[in-house]
Amino acid sequence: MPPTAAIDSLFIDELTAATRDVFKTMVFQDLEAASPTSEDALKPGANVVGTVAFAGKTVGLVVFYSTLDAAQAITASMLGVEPASVNGELHDAIGELTNMIAGSFRTRMAHAKGETWAISVPTVTVGSDFYTKYVSDVQRVLCPFRMNKAELYVELIVTRSATQ
Amino acid sequence: MRFLIVDDSSTMRRIIINTLNKLGHQDVAEAGNGKEGLDRLSAGPVDVIITDWNMPEMSGIDFIRTVRSMPEIKDTPVLMVTTNAAKDDIVEALKAGVNSYVVKPFTPDTMKEKIEAVLAR
Ligand SMILES: [Mg+2]
Repeated sequence: MPPTAAIDSLFIDELTAATRDVFKTMVFQDLEAASPTSEDALKPGANVVGTVAFAGKTVGLVVFYSTLDAAQAITASMLGVEPASVNGELHDAIGELTNMIAGSFRTRMAHAKGETWAISVPTVTVGSDFYTKYVSDVQRVLCPFRMNKAELYVELIVTRSATQ
Repeated sequence: MRFLIVDDSSTMRRIIINTLNKLGHQDVAEAGNGKEGLDRLSAGPVDVIITDWNMPEMSGIDFIRTVRSMPEIKDTPVLMVTTNAAKDDIVEALKAGVNSYVVKPFTPDTMKEKIEAVLAR
């Protein structure tokens, strides 16, 4: 199988379900999911990025992207405060959000495929618009979501898959 | 009724405190990992411990094993809140002495029910 082959749709479905579940229960928002893409798409205004690595039979990353405004709204909703009062809490909130998405994805993949993964602690970057280009021999899929007016993205990057 | 919340995420601590406040509990101590949790407990016992599993310095599992080995506090009820949902993980946590278990993500109602169940023990 060539390394650029598409990611199994089961992974995409489970990651989408995990993301929607985390938002529904912890952020109190129903996310609308749009079609996932494997294109090298730009993530407009994505200046908050949360990353969790996973490793098992399959190795890769779950990456969450949002604008600063959306990240502030998410943080406020999780904490039960007004968005304007969010200050230093954003890093930790987006880290915990990404941790829960990756953790729920891991649980779902364990049920669906019997794979056991370890996951890393989350890292969060807040900065101006940036775009990460990965080496070409990884599989990746970008899942866009809409939360009210805001666009959010969850990307799955697989650096080693069980089928290779 | 005094609670101790041990979690490296300040967000998760706040979410749990919000639930406790809604249940009428205001007396809550916080710690960022198991080691800090033990420091808190050395200052005085609590009625309920709510702890994460994955934390730096000392994990929730090692923290609970230590608590269960300390005669003065060994019977403190413990609720674990974690993304670890595998059966083996839950078995390991129960063996370490955890009384009840909440898998993240959770709804506010689930958290409320689990806290009330631990209190009713
Ligand atoms: Mg943690």
